Amino acid sequence: MNENPRLIDRQLVHRCLAGEPQAERALYDAHVERIYRLVHRMAGDADLAADFTQETFIRAFDRLEQFRGDSSLATWLHTIAVSVALNGMRSVKRLRARTDNIDETPDLAARQPGFTADLKARLHSAIDALSEKLRPVFVMHDVEGYTHEEIAGSLGIPVGTSKARLFDARAKLRIALSAFAGDHIA
Amino acid sequence: MNDDRMDELLAEAARDYNAPAGIPREEMWTRIQAERGARRSRGSTHRVWLWPSVGVAAAVLLAVGVMLGRRMERSTGSVSTVARVAPDSSRTKQSTSVAAVGARGGDSSADLIGKLRHETTDTDRQVRELASRTPDAPVDESTSLSYRLVVLKHLAGSEAMITAFRSEARRGEVDAQIAAWSKELLSTTRMLEASQANDDPTMRRLLRDLDLVLAQIKQYVTRGTSDPDDLALIEQSIIKRGVINKLRSTVPARNVPAGT
Repeated sequence: MNENPRLIDRQLVHRCLAGEPQAERALYDAHVERIYRLVHRMAGDADLAADFTQETFIRAFDRLEQFRGDSSLATWLHTIAVSVALNGMRSVKRLRARTDNIDETPDLAARQPGFTADLKARLHSAIDALSEKLRPVFVMHDVEGYTHEEIAGSLGIPVGTSKARLFDARAKLRIALSAFAGDHIA
Repeated sequence: MNDDRMDELLAEAARDYNAPAGIPREEMWTRIQAERGARRSRGSTHRVWLWPSVGVAAAVLLAVGVMLGRRMERSTGSVSTVARVAPDSSRTKQSTSVAAVGARGGDSSADLIGKLRHETTDTDRQVRELASRTPDAPVDESTSLSYRLVVLKHLAGSEAMITAFRSEARRGEVDAQIAAWSKELLSTTRMLEASQANDDPTMRRLLRDLDLVLAQIKQYVTRGTSDPDDLALIEQSIIKRGVINKLRSTVPARNVPAGT
């Protein structure tokens, strides 16, 4: 059966707006995993990811009547999620600057000794250091596997800009890692 | 190494970047429902929250938590230290009556912390219940009072936890229960920040400051190290933001008879 996804979105939204609790739960179930995964990748912290995911759905339900169906419901939700996560991370950065970076990020190198672990640790630090424009694109595309169309829709940028940002992000990561990798592989 | 090989390595390494271990699907859904209910309630009323005037009813509810917290402070001998770093003339008035409670107390630190935590551990559940009880109805007087009582109970519990933490951390032996307790209190604080409690500017500032301090404490105890610099930062946040003074001026402890 090939039902139009946009039509399914609209029907689900209509049921939510009519006050059907089952429809709200269905909307949540359909999208929560992808949203949570994305914001967790961006935040690097389970508590923050849960906070951002909750806020995303709360805002989405509050603003559901604003959903026009011009984009897919998934894209619309991701727009909210990315905005919530980026704003939230700005606050977290300010907090961490005050608290001397008290992060709970697991020590990957300790779990996986050797070159691969070192490379991953370097790469993760380099991804953390990407700018606010480049990091979401890199995380969405190379880490979570979103298409440029999905990224463009979620971030409100042209597809070409998404591609350019990914190119820039990869270039910066290559530079950050090249000296390290060269020492080990050459 | 060429770019293709580098891209392969990048792609491989990127897969583990901030990978989630699992998804707390049900927990998040419960909180979403609670917060939506709270926000709807908040939107349906423009009531001004007069925190300091809640009065005797709140005082009775808060009695055990507040007194245990201050008894903890006395029994661990940290009052003089706290007073030195955060002078507050209002403490002098309370110390006389609280001292008697501390003198009668025979519990160990862990017992006291257990009791304190027990007093506040279901505040989170109560906030959720209140938020979901009347999601669409206007907030009536009794609901509003119930809400305020729960918030004040949370603030009393937060004061008790911070006091317990300071005492324990100074001795270099932070009880394991404080890690879970601080996490619970932080979670409730964040829920309150999204609730009608946040409408009041004074309460909003207090919750924001409390959020910062609880987050710092949670991180400190979770890491399990005893870095004096980290401890100094927490102390600095508590003092600079006047968190304890604000908590004490909000919670009507002076209405609580000593030993209640």
